[in-house]
Amino acid sequence: MNYAPRAEHAAPSHAHNGSGPVVWVAIIAITCLLLLVFQKVLWLVVPVLLALILYYFLFPAVRALIYRGMSRDAAASVVTLAFLALVTVAGIGLMPKVARQAAQWQDTVDRYVQGGTLLLDSSLRAMERHWATLERAKLADTVAARLKHGAGSITDHIEPVAFGIMAWTPSLLLAPFLAFFFLRDGRRFKRFLGAAVPNAFFERTLYLLHEIDRTARAYFQGLINLTILDTLTLAAGLWLLGIPGPLTLGLICAVLAWVPYVGSILGGLLVVLVAATDFPGDPSMAYWAIGLFGLVRLLDDFFYMPMTIGKSLELHPLITVLMIFAGGAVAGISGLMLVLPVLGVVMVIGETIGVIVSDPRLMARHRHARALRQQQASADL
Amino acid sequence: MVKLFGSQKSSPRLDRLHGLSLFVNLTPAELRIVDGLLHERSYLAGEVIFDEGEEGQAIYIIASGEVLISRLEQGDAERFTPAGGNGLPRRRQGDSGRVAELGPGTFFGELALLDNSPRSAQARAATGCQLIIFFRDDFVGLLDTHARIASKISRQLACHLGARMRVMAQAMGNHQHAV
Repeated sequence: MNYAPRAEHAAPSHAHNGSGPVVWVAIIAITCLLLLVFQKVLWLVVPVLLALILYYFLFPAVRALIYRGMSRDAAASVVTLAFLALVTVAGIGLMPKVARQAAQWQDTVDRYVQGGTLLLDSSLRAMERHWATLERAKLADTVAARLKHGAGSITDHIEPVAFGIMAWTPSLLLAPFLAFFFLRDGRRFKRFLGAAVPNAFFERTLYLLHEIDRTARAYFQGLINLTILDTLTLAAGLWLLGIPGPLTLGLICAVLAWVPYVGSILGGLLVVLVAATDFPGDPSMAYWAIGLFGLVRLLDDFFYMPMTIGKSLELHPLITVLMIFAGGAVAGISGLMLVLPVLGVVMVIGETIGVIVSDPRLMARHRHARALRQQQASADL
Repeated sequence: MVKLFGSQKSSPRLDRLHGLSLFVNLTPAELRIVDGLLHERSYLAGEVIFDEGEEGQAIYIIASGEVLISRLEQGDAERFTPAGGNGLPRRRQGDSGRVAELGPGTFFGELALLDNSPRSAQARAATGCQLIIFFRDDFVGLLDTHARIASKISRQLACHLGARMRVMAQAMGNHQHAV
């Protein structure tokens, strides 16, 4: 077969431009579109997301076993089973305590809401004493009346929360199941995807898959690290203030902070409610708690986040903030939560496809290979 | 537990991998680990595997068939650039840029495993061939997590590069002697 005299340009194919504005517009549009779709299938997206977190958490253990000579299937099974056993043992250990708490859960929530309401009332009345305009407007009475009529009783809220938990439980139980298959078949999936790509784009595709894996791993591991840092900082601050259960409170606030903005506000509210209720005669404790929470948020935004998640996605801070707002506007709370990982992955895919499509040499090689295959297929016709 | 950690049995596929010079020092258990990281592709005669100047991401091992390694030379550019063309040189099979023709069991593109410098030559399938591909980041992962396997592969790589340097030095010596 004579394949030599084809006029191919031997220009180095690495000489390409970076992603242009068209690619970036496409990346942002696809991210928003995906968020819209994900919002419709949250029952699947949430367990997949949890499974991914679990996957990146358990993967080092699976890899360690594989490198000690165990097969991938066995390593994935052993690690998943060990994790489930650990969760079961911890669940059985905590069950009596949780059962005791559950019995008085309604009273506890009621007590903390009352504490928060009292704090709000005393703060507003203190403000009224300083500003005559607020006193004339009877701000404290108005807010108290609105809270009384608008918020309803605790029992009104318990039923939907209980039904929500019951509805989500089967979906959440999918997470370890999915994580097991990610651990066992992740590499097969990568090979399967690679095998479907033409030879000319193969190296780039391998690189793309590696980058997606690296981005997702860095994001989820960054999220785990950020949660640990937030928990420890908040717990230390709360412990210094003398607020009970600092570690639990810190952990709850750190997990709530996975939802940008909204989660932080909820976490802050929780800390203030606890401080106001456990120290009813000392409103300064609640103000200290607010100050502590603000300080931790600042530390989080300017030090922890760039050190962990921000570094992993290599996103410009302005794009990060704008995309968080866009995610919230497009898909609400789920959009706020998902926008950064989705943007990170779409960005890697978009930039790589942009580079491949705009590389004339790679496209020429692909056309050449296709022509060769057609020639071979029709050789004896 | 012994069974869980896999038997040391070999298989035709592992035997084939063991026959490749890069993996010749690996035990069956180590070969099984490496096998999980490898990709296989088939190329038709004349198909470009990678280009000179392209950023290298992987090393290629020839399982079957032959691969031609060639380098663009200044003379090629002068001889084959058509008048009024776009100024980019053509590369033709069998020209003076031909560096080597490699057969089964050998490997090429090995520098990509060490750094991400541009490819120093073009690789093209001389016949229909089956290639085994080892991606750089998988190799780097092995270096970090399974130093023994990585060191055995690195040793083979170093031997290969050393042999190539000796050939080059010899060629340069001959050239100077002739001058």
